[in-house]
Amino acid sequence: MDLLLQYLANGIVNGSNYVLVAVGLTLVFGILGVVNFAHGEFYMLGAYTGLILVINYGLPIWAALAGVLVVAVILGLGAEGLLNKMLKERDATSSIIASFGLAVVLQNSALIGFGPSPMLMQTKYSTIGVEMGPVYLPLQQLLIPVAMVALISVLYLVLRYTWTGRSLRAMAQHAVVARMCGVRVQRVAVITFIVSALLAGIAGFLMSSVYMVYPIIGNMIVLKAFTVVILGGMGNVAGAAAAGLLLGIVESLTSAYLGNGLRDIVGFVIVIAVLLLRPQGLFGRTFQRS
Amino acid sequence: MSRISRRHMLGLLGAGIALPALVKAQDSSPIRIGCMLPLSGNGSIEGNQVFKGVKFAVAEVNAAGGVLGRKIELAVEDDESNTSKGVLAVRKLIEQEHVPLIIGTYASAVVVASMKVAKELKVPMLTGGSTGAIATDANTPGDPWFFRFFSDSTGQGYDTANAIINKFHAKRVAILHDTTGYGTDLAKQTTEVVQGAGGEIVANESYNIGDQDFSTILTRIRTLKPDVVYIGGWAADGATIVRQAASVGLRTQFVGSGSMLSDDFIKLAGPASENFAVATAYEASTPNKVGRAFGERFRKEYGYDPGMLNALGYYSAAIGIEALRRVGKPDGAAIQQMLANGMKDFPIGLGPEGTTADFNDKGSVDYPYFIAIIKNGKRVLDH
Repeated sequence: MDLLLQYLANGIVNGSNYVLVAVGLTLVFGILGVVNFAHGEFYMLGAYTGLILVINYGLPIWAALAGVLVVAVILGLGAEGLLNKMLKERDATSSIIASFGLAVVLQNSALIGFGPSPMLMQTKYSTIGVEMGPVYLPLQQLLIPVAMVALISVLYLVLRYTWTGRSLRAMAQHAVVARMCGVRVQRVAVITFIVSALLAGIAGFLMSSVYMVYPIIGNMIVLKAFTVVILGGMGNVAGAAAAGLLLGIVESLTSAYLGNGLRDIVGFVIVIAVLLLRPQGLFGRTFQRS
Repeated sequence: MSRISRRHMLGLLGAGIALPALVKAQDSSPIRIGCMLPLSGNGSIEGNQVFKGVKFAVAEVNAAGGVLGRKIELAVEDDESNTSKGVLAVRKLIEQEHVPLIIGTYASAVVVASMKVAKELKVPMLTGGSTGAIATDANTPGDPWFFRFFSDSTGQGYDTANAIINKFHAKRVAILHDTTGYGTDLAKQTTEVVQGAGGEIVANESYNIGDQDFSTILTRIRTLKPDVVYIGGWAADGATIVRQAASVGLRTQFVGSGSMLSDDFIKLAGPASENFAVATAYEASTPNKVGRAFGERFRKEYGYDPGMLNALGYYSAAIGIEALRRVGKPDGAAIQQMLANGMKDFPIGLGPEGTTADFNDKGSVDYPYFIAIIKNGKRVLDH
């Protein structure tokens, strides 16, 4: 039983990481209809920004975090300008391919800028661990679910109670009608991209002290994020949060009880099953269009 | 005289004056040899260390006047441990750069695909760190086009597994291996040897290269209380595993493989690397005199001791250039013959005292590996 709790805890840590990356993606995908394969690079660059600021410039953690937020805003603006503003009138495949191109450019820039060697952020908190009964987690890992809950709660409150949040939800339902109701669609699109980049960047920053950072870490995480987005229903923030945690836990239990080699497979198998049997996702709603 | 016009005469004279200069220019232009390694992507840690050794060998040769009166230049390609990129790179090196030999590469799967092309285009390849038995096994016996001057992964796995049984007296062994042919073969080997000696394999788990999270699987292995955990794979993953093992409280003897003998591994794994054991064919403190001399020259140039990856890069280039010198011209097929039969007397710094580039008919040189243990952040050879 103790072990099961430990596995669940590990799963929640990984799942929280997936949630942070996937929620941004579901907003962009679900609301703007933009497939952004460069989303993993927001994560990767958030990790590198934090690493460089802490290791090379010796900044304290909170200053590095501020740096990460600034970089994320710039990335979000740039990605929106490229993928949404310039390409939304065209065929959907244009923005998909453009996002691939953006991902390749960003990955190779990171390769040129930071080199291929894996890096890890070591801070004075690296060796501190937290024991909660039979479960042991290093402090830096425990921060991830905590940050996830905090950020997703803030996001939820924004979506529910602010005008921007309501605009986002209106756009998710129908962009043209939303515009007729006075929603400034372009501004909302920019904000959505920035929010998705912020969430992914912060996730990368948090993970840079847990896992090694190198230029291609965005690849796998964006695939997992898409999996979570599909499982949770496109555009469904709460669904993405639930699905992300679920995926993290399922992967952890698979690794523990079925074999580590199956760990990556299980998420993709579940997604295939869901797409075949319940394409709106586990928590999505089907829309009837008249 | 009238059939040969003045214009013709002038042309002939001009050519006559130019000819010696042209011939001389051809003779003294640098010889380009090919170098294909993973300089980015998976295996970039290893590729860059091997590359340092290769560059050092070329620099030494050039400082001593070059080969056949010409300097050596490297035509470098980054294969990113990707098979398709490797095949393209080999083609480019041979067809565009006209290299007579190629040093490369690290990933055995890439070697197997590339050596087909190299053999077809008649250019021999010298290992860039590839250890997998699959590479030399793909050679036609008696006519190898891929050369490796240390034992293959079978030998390495065997030596390591024997160390697990005899040196560490393990009865319960847990294996973590990557899903490549290299890792899977090592796992199979270790299983055979351990079970053959009456030991028990308590876990045999795989992971994908680049996987980040091992905490769950390591927690599970912790409950099985193994005497030894054997990791079959590359340095970056090995370092992640060792580091995370320490943080989940898995304390036992770790034994590694392949490039976990590098300083990068120690840096990435941090203090968790203490007491880590790994098979190696070279350390600066090696009992091999030629190897120690190389170590001293390397340290003088770079300020730190070379590791096995630097040494193998160095000797790959050194053996190739020496074969080129003995043949007398940049002819790939002739160099391959020289490598296969004519290098028995060329001493190399890897392996025990007296090791030479005496390739067997599969293109390999077999000798037992040493075991190195990390003490206080440095590898110590265990005799």
